Amino acid sequence: MKFINDNILTIVVFLPLAGAILLAFFPRRDRDVRYFALAVSLITLLASLHLTWYFVRGQSGFQYEENVPWIPHPNIHYHMGVDGISLWLVILTTFLMPLCVLISWKSIGDRVKEFFILMLVLETAMIGVFVALDLFLFYFFWEATLIPMALLIGMYGHGRKIYAAVKFFLYTMIASVFMLAAILWLYARTGSFDFVTIQGMIQSGQVSGFGNAALWLFLGFFVAFAVKVPLFPVHTWLPDAHVEAPTAGSVLLAGVLLKMGTYGLLRFNLGLFPEQARRNAPWIIALAIIGIIYGALVAMIQPNIKRLVAYTSVSHLGFVVLGIFSFTQLGVDGAVYQMLSHGISTGALFMLLGMIYDRRHTYELSEFGGLATPMPVFATFFAFIMLSSVGLPLLNGFVGEFMVLSGAFQAKQLYGILAATGVIWSACYLLWMYQRVFYGNVTKPVNSSLRDIDARERVSLWPLAIAALVMGVAPMLWLHSIDPAVSAALKQFSGVTQAAVLPARNSPAAPGPPLHADFARNGVEVIGR
Amino acid sequence: MIPAVDYIRILPELVLSIFGIIVMMVDPVLPEQSPKKPLGVIAVIGVLAALAATAYQPGFYGSAFYNTVSVDTFSVFFHVVVLLIALVVILISFEYLDVQRIRSGEYYALVLFGTVGMMLMSAAVELVLIFIALEISSISTYILAGMRRRAAESAEASLKYFLLGSFATAFFLYGVALIFGATGTTNVYGIAHYFQTQQASVLAYLAVGLMFVGLGFKVASAPFHVWTPDVYEGSPAPVVALMSTGPKAAAFAVLLRVLFATGAPGWFWMVWVSAALSMTLGNIGALVQQNVKRLLAYSSIAHAGYLLVAFAAAKQVGISAAIFYAASYAAMNVGAFAVIGHFASEGEKYVTLDDYAGLGRRSPLLAATLTIFLLSLIGIPVTGGFFAKFYVFSAALQSNLVGLTIIGVINSAIAAYYYLRVIVYMYMRDERVEAPVARIPAGLGVGLAISLVATIYLGVMPGRVLDYAIQSAQDLLK
Amino acid sequence: MTEIGTLHYLVVAAALFIIGTIGVLTRRNVVIILMSIELILNAVNLNLVAFSRLYGLHGQVFAIFVITDAAAEAAVGLGIIIAFFRNKETVNVDEVDLLKW
Repeated sequence: MKFINDNILTIVVFLPLAGAILLAFFPRRDRDVRYFALAVSLITLLASLHLTWYFVRGQSGFQYEENVPWIPHPNIHYHMGVDGISLWLVILTTFLMPLCVLISWKSIGDRVKEFFILMLVLETAMIGVFVALDLFLFYFFWEATLIPMALLIGMYGHGRKIYAAVKFFLYTMIASVFMLAAILWLYARTGSFDFVTIQGMIQSGQVSGFGNAALWLFLGFFVAFAVKVPLFPVHTWLPDAHVEAPTAGSVLLAGVLLKMGTYGLLRFNLGLFPEQARRNAPWIIALAIIGIIYGALVAMIQPNIKRLVAYTSVSHLGFVVLGIFSFTQLGVDGAVYQMLSHGISTGALFMLLGMIYDRRHTYELSEFGGLATPMPVFATFFAFIMLSSVGLPLLNGFVGEFMVLSGAFQAKQLYGILAATGVIWSACYLLWMYQRVFYGNVTKPVNSSLRDIDARERVSLWPLAIAALVMGVAPMLWLHSIDPAVSAALKQFSGVTQAAVLPARNSPAAPGPPLHADFARNGVEVIGR
Repeated sequence: MIPAVDYIRILPELVLSIFGIIVMMVDPVLPEQSPKKPLGVIAVIGVLAALAATAYQPGFYGSAFYNTVSVDTFSVFFHVVVLLIALVVILISFEYLDVQRIRSGEYYALVLFGTVGMMLMSAAVELVLIFIALEISSISTYILAGMRRRAAESAEASLKYFLLGSFATAFFLYGVALIFGATGTTNVYGIAHYFQTQQASVLAYLAVGLMFVGLGFKVASAPFHVWTPDVYEGSPAPVVALMSTGPKAAAFAVLLRVLFATGAPGWFWMVWVSAALSMTLGNIGALVQQNVKRLLAYSSIAHAGYLLVAFAAAKQVGISAAIFYAASYAAMNVGAFAVIGHFASEGEKYVTLDDYAGLGRRSPLLAATLTIFLLSLIGIPVTGGFFAKFYVFSAALQSNLVGLTIIGVINSAIAAYYYLRVIVYMYMRDERVEAPVARIPAGLGVGLAISLVATIYLGVMPGRVLDYAIQSAQDLLK
Repeated sequence: MTEIGTLHYLVVAAALFIIGTIGVLTRRNVVIILMSIELILNAVNLNLVAFSRLYGLHGQVFAIFVITDAAAEAAVGLGIIIAFFRNKETVNVDEVDLLKW
């Protein structure tokens, strides 16, 4: 058991890669390839559940740390670890992956082997991004996500897939070189790539010339993450990438890849440059709010359902950024929660859209109407997921949005008010879309004979629906490991508004149950308001 | 009297020369118009023997032949790099020569002699010997460039390469003559001693400038790069694999000796400007190319620029970054040209991007291999190219070259576009031409495996090679 | 009349170098370009021999190497020119245009 605990992160990260390598030598029989990919992703999920099982809740620092020297010169370490924030993002990734394999079962009929190899490589890179604590290692995984995703879009997408793939690649690549430059600068001055070490050195003011460079370093990281999130003016790659991507690609893009951006903002921009983060917060929040409203408004007029859902991501991720830069305990907690819940809801929405695409090969809204009659089960799932995305209380979307909004109000009322309009808009466009697609009479004759979803498709939807419900009614399950990590991250922001702060949260020896009860009370108070 | 140990210090060169001569002697014995593969096998054995001889050398560090050759970690490192390049090039040539119907036995001999020149370049510490070694390698490659004798492009490439190459050599020589005039010696250490003890004259600055121009031509750095695209486009693909890596690595080794080991003054801004220009012009030039060989030619200009960034960085860390970069560039570029040579088919017909459309389907394995080399050229993690670039820019920032680093990282982002274009054609477009793809023959397979393993190894476990690079830098500066 | 010193040789060498360089850059006939390169090499030799007056035989030995190399280069160069001529029936670099110059 000690061996497993010591190496669990390596196992989780590299299991998919090992699977991909094995798959490369697999015979080209599509059926076997699919089953094998499913098995690998399920084993990875199981392995990652080990993380949650033995995770010490209520503790702030990194757990399951692995730290061995990798390359002596320059001083690069193989340093991994998870805290309450990254833990759940890892689980989100491993949780979505088997579902993505299932959803691609039939829709990918050509070059199947390559598809699943790319998926598994992508999984390794995504998990790696969340667990890396060495900046080099982080950048390594960060860049490594790029190629599989671009290839997935370009090889298996539809329509202007090449345009979308290249656009996705170039946006992210160009933005991330600035992060590389910032990382290298930090290394040149600190002699280390280690996140914890660098953070310590910055806090104690040991980095020479940091004062002058801090703004540029902050921006270097910020640009890379903002493009990934995507924040308002640099979001234009997202709708294209989503619309042309294959379903599984969209699910992972929305579910996980975008979270890499917000995770990076939280971990690195706030963690390394608190002073700069605070100074730049106003315009970043402004961008986030513009993103919330703009995304919602643009979503409303989209004639293409998938593009519509893509713009909801812009809007929802705006909430996350808003929460992060509110620097309040509640806001950041909510932001992290919103990341997870957006992964579930939007991932599920894309899956549903993929099912409809498999049947009709179009995403045009005008092609649909009255689908509830031929496809009742599908319509029910869709309604449920859509409501979770809208933010209906007792479903997952509500918790995150509510906490973010409360945090935003604490930070500045104006932020809260503006952002709250976004919630209204999102209800509008999603419900309106739902009405146009599902209600009324069947407008096109082809639609009247559509099959309802089959067993495989149901199997891939149930876990998400259950997750949406559980996350809506029992947020404490997640929050009491997220909360300490967030408050540790916010420790550098002395004087931040910390409503709903728990006593003794940061002491590692804090006993579990009282904390749980305490936080639960606060949480219920917040949520039940 | 020359001590016997001196011969051990040039043992790899001796071994390879002997094998080159054997190849030339066996050639006429073989029936005319028969495939020359046996010669290739002899050449492979020769390279392996030379590798073994190199492996024997670390016990015999020191200088030989009246201080004209210095065997140290630096020279051994470059010996290994150059020999591996030669090995892969010979392996991929087996099939290539058959397909192109090139029946010249001297091909293999020229590769071996050229390699001898490159190895001597990295070991020489006397400008006379550096010059001779440079010429041995250059003249061999001039001829190799024209090996597809029936193709006008090949002859043209050879002619251009020859004219500009000898022009560059003449510049280099003029620089050598002037530095002899300025310092009274042509020995690298003698020159270093002079610069340590005395004020450098105008003549010395001029000399360093001229030598830089001459070597700048050889490494294809801007503004001396204009010959590169034409020559790479016209020359046979395996030869391009050789000349874009081997002589280049060796010329960089010479440049390291001439600029750093001598302690010559006044070249910093020259290198800075050349680095910035090479990166920018190379990448911009590559953006519009349709011919894959030409595209990679521009890319090689850009990579020379990245390498020069390391030159501009501070001594110790900069040199080791440059050495590491040379090695990993060799690994990925040789591999890329190996695949291109295979796809090109008879008469090198299929070398435009359009011919690459749909390759991912026709030949998944080779397409995947080429993709890895291209990703390495972009600088994507898990490949040697990523780490090399990372190390170079890290060295540059440690020396406070913020401007050059920013130019560099922006360039490497731009560069991603044109490499990606090749990948896009291979995987995302449907094929337009019925370009046949032959099975992967054994030689090519082994050659590709070597470069692939090297590329990945340098990206994942660069530690050991980096240690050697750092040790080499120390030996160079001692 | 002043005595002919090292400097005079250097000036002549520099002149040869410049003439050679200009020749390479402006002439259109491949053979003449080749000859211009030889001119530069001879400028080098002149320099080396002139400096030998100051520093001993070193330079003269070097010059012999350069002469040998120039011969080898010329041989290979003429061979390449002939190969080229067979394909294109010209020695004019303006017509060396299959590949973009």
